[in-house]
Amino acid sequence: MDTLPTPPVLRVDGYTLDYATPAGPVRALEDITLAIGPGRTLGLVGESGSGKSSLAWAIMRYLPANARENAGGLLLQGENLRTMTPQEILRVRGRRASMVFQDPSTSLNPAMRLGDQVAEVLVRHRGLDRAAALAEGEAALARTGITKPADMMRRYPHEASGGEKQRVTIATAFACQPALIVFDEPTTALDIITAQGILQLFRELQEETGVSALYISHDLALVSRIAHEVAVIHRGRIVETDMPARIFRDPRDAYTRDLIAAVPRPDHWLGVAPPPPGAPALLSSEGVNVLYGAPSPLARRLGLRGRPHQGAHEVSFDIRAGELVGLVGESGSGKSTMARVLSGLQPFDGAVRFGERRFTHRRQFDRRYRRAVQIVFQHPDASLNPRQKVGRILSRPLKIYGLASRAERPARVRALLERVLLPPDFADRYPHQLSGGEKQRVAIARAFAAEPDLVICDEITAALDVSVQASVARLLIDLQRDTGTACLFITHDLNLVRQLAHRIVVMQHGAVVDSFDTADAKAPGRAPYTRTLLDAVPEPAEALGGGEADRPARKELP
Amino acid sequence: MHEILRSPTGLTGSVLLLLVLGMALLGPALAPYDPQQFHPAVRLQGPSWAHPLGTDQFGRDILSRLLNGAPTTIAFGLGATALGVALGALIGIVAGVAGGWVDSVIMRILDGLLAVPDLLFTLLIVTILGGGTGYAMLAVAIAFTPGMARISRSSVLSVRTRDYVLAAQARGEGWGWIVGFEVLPNALSPIIVEATIRVAFAIMIGATLGFLGLGAQPPSTEWGLMVAEARQFMFRNPWMVVIPGIAIALAALGFNLFGDALRDALDPRGRS
Repeated sequence: MDTLPTPPVLRVDGYTLDYATPAGPVRALEDITLAIGPGRTLGLVGESGSGKSSLAWAIMRYLPANARENAGGLLLQGENLRTMTPQEILRVRGRRASMVFQDPSTSLNPAMRLGDQVAEVLVRHRGLDRAAALAEGEAALARTGITKPADMMRRYPHEASGGEKQRVTIATAFACQPALIVFDEPTTALDIITAQGILQLFRELQEETGVSALYISHDLALVSRIAHEVAVIHRGRIVETDMPARIFRDPRDAYTRDLIAAVPRPDHWLGVAPPPPGAPALLSSEGVNVLYGAPSPLARRLGLRGRPHQGAHEVSFDIRAGELVGLVGESGSGKSTMARVLSGLQPFDGAVRFGERRFTHRRQFDRRYRRAVQIVFQHPDASLNPRQKVGRILSRPLKIYGLASRAERPARVRALLERVLLPPDFADRYPHQLSGGEKQRVAIARAFAAEPDLVICDEITAALDVSVQASVARLLIDLQRDTGTACLFITHDLNLVRQLAHRIVVMQHGAVVDSFDTADAKAPGRAPYTRTLLDAVPEPAEALGGGEADRPARKELP
Repeated sequence: MHEILRSPTGLTGSVLLLLVLGMALLGPALAPYDPQQFHPAVRLQGPSWAHPLGTDQFGRDILSRLLNGAPTTIAFGLGATALGVALGALIGIVAGVAGGWVDSVIMRILDGLLAVPDLLFTLLIVTILGGGTGYAMLAVAIAFTPGMARISRSSVLSVRTRDYVLAAQARGEGWGWIVGFEVLPNALSPIIVEATIRVAFAIMIGATLGFLGLGAQPPSTEWGLMVAEARQFMFRNPWMVVIPGIAIALAALGFNLFGDALRDALDPRGRS
């Protein structure tokens, strides 16, 4: 650890925390020691359940009733937070330490104007009157790069975009010039381009105000780009603290090495061999259009006009047998709309060609097509019926497509589970008894149970931790290698998709704007939007500005 | 069942329900006196060894009347609720699953019916159909239908757009499977809880109808009617009101707690 020239703003000393549960105490944090100097950023990196949010709650003194603090100190500017009275804590929160939450749409009050929410903090902590607070709040919003701050002050949260809302919460956090700000995954709920803007804003504001920050995230590569120091937390213990560049170059702990290995590196090819050139298309989207919010016949007759929204506009692309095509774009670009069209969940105009057959209406998709084209959804919690056991979930495709008799099914289910590297006795479990990554494996197994020709993966890694993402992606590739199934991989993570896909299709505002072989991702002819997307997720090596020596040797695409 | 008995709520509910159902099944056989027999010497008495729960204005034994009234009262509550819930859930599920204009038309009609207070609606139906226990039960069931339909529909709607339902649609499952195995099991909890609460309401509305002379008729020993008849003598023998009142409350509480526990037991996420 570096020697700090001045006393730290936040000092955590041997802090240990348990949660009391009916089954006895569960250790959440063990002997946590860290320090953040003035104007420094400490990145705290760990997977879900590692205790990183518990530490944030402990610092903000928002611990649940069953938390038991066993040992250690939490010192903010030399004062122990643990011994403060509730009144003193109220003066600390917002004034000297504030917090930015993950999801701006739930951390803002939907019934209050944004301006009032910023001003509230100033009235409360700096004793300004309302007019002065509103003027100050407007200035604070202007500093966060919002173009029309006065206009934004009068809006309600639902009238602002996710990125704008997060800018407002950041403005609120900075409003009283606190000594410390805790950021709990502030960009995870945003799409990449917006997230990139928020990170930029964070860097600027920190330089300008000299605030100290604790930045919590599951994404080591992201944290490395903004933090002066990175602490890796695993199962409630800090396993390693170091400069980001040094952590990448010379990780000492085994867990840190796993984390680094999980960071997607576009130069590290994982995918299967591409189909031979000139192979015919397996599935083609031919000028597909989707219109959301089209007025109903009755509304049209009454002369009511809604404002229809074009979900997909003349979208054409094709996928060859055994190929993995990446479909990339920010949220709202229409990539999930295409997943819904191809899996027969969304009415459309235009045509979908599959082999020799051509479909021009959703109702024409029959069971033969539906067996051949399977979909895996983003959220494994939502895509598995909570009231069915895993065995039943997996045997369903076997039954409706007539792939196995009733007697054969249990054995097939066990084989499927083994294939996705899960223990066969998971068949008797309910989905809620599995972790997020395990649930996603079950969802993948369900798709492959149908012995499909094409699997549509709709952001299947987006809801998972980086470390789990990598293993799920690897599993998908292994299955693809074994079965020769084609795959449409929908994602916003260009680094990840460049490791897997043979070709990449880029969508923006419902239309295809670019389409290229993965090897040409950096070629000069790329569309400007593609370049924006690429710039929003720097490759880990670029982000660190060095550390070339230890990068795995570049493997050329076969 | 094991799951239900493990929680204190479930245990209390089950015990109460067992008590009430025991009374409904065995009550008439256990009653020490004929419920209609007059004992002119001991009118409006409080509890005593001869009459453990006191006597009414004709000297009839309240315990015997209570035990004899249990079957009709419980049957009325259960019957009216079961009928109302079945009808309402059916309409609600059809509206929720069908969506579109079918949903709009059904729900607008039900909204119109919901605007009429339950009791007024029941009275209207009884006036059209005629009095008596059977028609009163039907009337209560019909009055419950719009509310139950609304609850079932919103419950179905919240489940219908979940990814696992979409996954089933994408797989090419038939509507029967999707509604029966994907949607309903996840939409049932609020319906069950609402139904158990409504048993108590049904008993109370039945009592009111009896009081107004449109439901059970004297000398029936239906609990609601007992409360209604006792009103005049409330100050001379409060036991006459309190005893059947407590019986109704216990039955209501039993159904309610049991319903809560049943909902928890049906949810696999609640089990550890």
